[in-house]
Amino acid sequence: MKNYLSFVFEAFWNTLKGLWLTLKVLFLPAITVQYPTEKIVPYPRFRGMPAYDSEACIACGMCVRACPSRCIALANAVSSEGKRMPKIAWYTLDYGRCNFCGLCEESCPTKPKAVWHSLDYEAVFGTREEMVRRWKRGDDLWGTAHNSADAQFAAVTDQIHIQDVPVRK
Amino acid sequence: MTEETIKTKFSEPIFNRSHGRLLMPETRYWPTRMWKSPWRLPTYRRGAAVMAGILSGGAAAAWLLGEAGPRVAPLYSLAERYALQQGVPLFLVATVWTLIKAAVLLAVPLVNALFAVWWERKISAHMQSRMGPMYVGWWHGALQTVADGIKLFIKEDIVPECADKFVHLLAPVVVIIPAIVAFAPIPFGRELVYADLDIGTVYVFAVSGVSVMGIIMAGWSSGNKFSLLGGLRSAAQLVSYELPRTFSVIPVIMLAGTLNLSAIAGLQAGYWGGLLPRWFIFYPVVGQVAFAVFLIASVAETNRIPFDIPEAESELVAGFNTEYSGMKFALFFLSEFAYVLLSCLLMAAFFFGGGQPPLPFLGFLPSWAWFLAKTLTLIFCFLWFRWTFPRFRVDRLMNFNWKFLLPVSLLNIAAAGVLIWLLS
Amino acid sequence: MTREIFTALKTDQMFINFGPQHPSTHGVLRIALTVEGEVIIKAVPDVGFLHRGIEKLFEARNYSQALILTDRLDYVSAMPNNLAYCLAVERLAGIQPPLRAQYLRALVSELTRIASHLVFFGTFGVDMGAFTPFLYAFREREMVLDLFEMLCGGRLLYSYVRVGGVSADLPAGWTEKCREFITFFKPRLKDYDTLLSFNPIFRDRTETVGLISGARALSWGLSGPNLRASGPGYDVRKAEPYCVYDKLSFTVPTGKTGSCWDRYYCRMLEMGQSAEIVLQCLDALAKPELPPGEIMAKGVPKMLRPPAGAAYAHIEASRGDLGFYAVSDASPAPYRMHVRGPSFLNVAILQEILTGCKIADVVAVLGSFDIVLGEVDR
Repeated sequence: MKNYLSFVFEAFWNTLKGLWLTLKVLFLPAITVQYPTEKIVPYPRFRGMPAYDSEACIACGMCVRACPSRCIALANAVSSEGKRMPKIAWYTLDYGRCNFCGLCEESCPTKPKAVWHSLDYEAVFGTREEMVRRWKRGDDLWGTAHNSADAQFAAVTDQIHIQDVPVRK
Repeated sequence: MTEETIKTKFSEPIFNRSHGRLLMPETRYWPTRMWKSPWRLPTYRRGAAVMAGILSGGAAAAWLLGEAGPRVAPLYSLAERYALQQGVPLFLVATVWTLIKAAVLLAVPLVNALFAVWWERKISAHMQSRMGPMYVGWWHGALQTVADGIKLFIKEDIVPECADKFVHLLAPVVVIIPAIVAFAPIPFGRELVYADLDIGTVYVFAVSGVSVMGIIMAGWSSGNKFSLLGGLRSAAQLVSYELPRTFSVIPVIMLAGTLNLSAIAGLQAGYWGGLLPRWFIFYPVVGQVAFAVFLIASVAETNRIPFDIPEAESELVAGFNTEYSGMKFALFFLSEFAYVLLSCLLMAAFFFGGGQPPLPFLGFLPSWAWFLAKTLTLIFCFLWFRWTFPRFRVDRLMNFNWKFLLPVSLLNIAAAGVLIWLLS
Repeated sequence: MTREIFTALKTDQMFINFGPQHPSTHGVLRIALTVEGEVIIKAVPDVGFLHRGIEKLFEARNYSQALILTDRLDYVSAMPNNLAYCLAVERLAGIQPPLRAQYLRALVSELTRIASHLVFFGTFGVDMGAFTPFLYAFREREMVLDLFEMLCGGRLLYSYVRVGGVSADLPAGWTEKCREFITFFKPRLKDYDTLLSFNPIFRDRTETVGLISGARALSWGLSGPNLRASGPGYDVRKAEPYCVYDKLSFTVPTGKTGSCWDRYYCRMLEMGQSAEIVLQCLDALAKPELPPGEIMAKGVPKMLRPPAGAAYAHIEASRGDLGFYAVSDASPAPYRMHVRGPSFLNVAILQEILTGCKIADVVAVLGSFDIVLGEVDR
């Protein structure tokens, strides 16, 4: 009987302690980030959407070999006398297959890096086509995507970026 | 990185230009910094001020409005006099009057659901250091429930292939009608009652017991094994928790000597030693035990955590309402919150003196305001339990009821007898 | 007479598909339950809905590329997967990582253990019907993920531990942030005890359910906290110290009865021990003997070609004994990579202990094993 009563009392007491804890937290400030109106800027090492700089690239193909999901391809530019130049003719990256592992950035020998992970984490695509990006020389960091409606390559305009110019190591 | 260097490094983001801001890595919401000194956060201070403003504003509004109950009867006699002048038969006036009162009563559970869902979401969110709905409506997601209600209205009504169509349709109706009808004898304040029944207590328990039929029907007719289990569980649970719930009220009835709800609430007026109100919860031992048993049994009756076995989300997916969608689901939802409100109103009437102010000098606020405040506090307790406790297991639930709650409530009746003998 | 009534009342058995779309199977596990009323008379776990052929994919990648596949095994605690893989490959190629890298490896695997056990704590609470612990756990887990984001750029899939060392050294201000987290986290463990561990309803549901004796746990090949809750104190960190675990002082919590509550509480205690280990590692990393920057072994080629042979390395991952068996044929890609996943072996015992439980107990038992289907199905 005494055991039973002490069990009941202990259960009751532990219940009250649990209630007290939630009541305490009720009056502490919330820690939520209200996402669309508040956006976290990631730390500099964050691996977000890969960006590509067609001017810095020397078309060595290290990133193509390093990529575990084989989502990068490139072609060297060819000079007028038929020699391969250390510049790209085109460069593609499939965001749909990208692992965001950072191996392409690590293998990139140029300084500053020609391909690197920006801090942009708002990777939103309307269609599958938009995921496959193509760069030619002079294109901006986010490249162009093929649009089957008008069979043109064009920059994706509705892409959301947390910032325009990402960190570059 | 300071904010300046970040700003020079990143240009302004495209999406954030019109509203919102960037959170730098240093200003991330780590609770270590937020919780050390919450009063230093401007948002926290503002929130506290707004809460204080709402409370005092509500009190001021209630004081200005004054007592509502006594104003109703003159209104009716006015209508009667007008009818006599115009030669309209009196029974017609009475009928229209009853219909108006019924419409007002019907609005109670609906408005309650709109408010209580929002309140539950906000309270639960802040208990979990979240914020809850923030965007719909002008202030802290105040219209979130309205938006949800509209969504439920226009949602497709899906009836499973193997469901018993008629029973499937009937079940939500059987659940919701008793939930609304049970509000009839509840006194919302002094002289503010739809039907002042002399057997009000028995009526409420009897009517609200019918809902379990609807839940069983829902579970059985859905053609889903999880629903069936949920429905049968709820049958067992609701029927067994009726007993301690009713028995725990018997001491109150013994002390009050009446079954009329407004009479029970009115009997608790006055103060012991001019300070401690003569509410039934303050009767030594008997009052507290009766309240505790009634509270626990009410939580069980309303299918809320820790007793939400019938719809146990993690075990039975959603129990008896797994196969319901759209407005039918909304009816189940509505009835759940209606029963929560009903239980809280009953508790306020039985144990907290209905519309009596807790301290003598607080009598300037009308009785309906006190009744509302007590009910809301009790609803908060329901939410508080829900967001603190885990769920019972089916057999343990039954054990708890039959081996603990029921004996305690029976003992309590005996104790009440002793108390009455001592008092007389 | 009574017997006649009993046979007359005998009802049909019901077959319930528990999953793969059930909310509390933690992924896509299917358990085929045969129930009589609420009591289970037969339970058959059915795995394989998340099979991605990761072991085969290893053979089509070179050693540095294959590392990112290990993240995807047990995605709730990716660091130990990286670590076990790297240890196996290092053993194959005869690489000795520098001491600082080893401390960093121990540090991150203990932080991952905290993060992973927090997920367990939260989801177990949800299985039991308590939603609040889930969000408390994720509040703290978010801090660990912030630390990892600061350290290696990933929040879930890190690829931090590399063959021959780790990918990056501690950034400026990381140590202070980590200490801030640990000082915040230790009192929270007490909060968790108040909120869930010693809640009478919770104990009532878990203390008498899913009992496993020590011998039975060993014979079914359980490992990790699931095994230690039954009594045997086998921990790879103590039995076969890898990295620097022989230099760190910590205890291995064990249970007695092997009930759901013991399995749960073992993990709670392990989180406290992990917090201690993190502090010890931080102290060690601040010493001048371990200069910053020495995080990679010298002379590890970019295209690793280990000599032909086989090597096995196992570690104490968050869910138990995680092993990688690597076979090399001196080519840049592994010839065969086998994963000994703890979750896969832990899930096997379900068919035995679920029999005789109630339906509500399925959730409790399944939750207490803390399986990750990404690793069960691979």
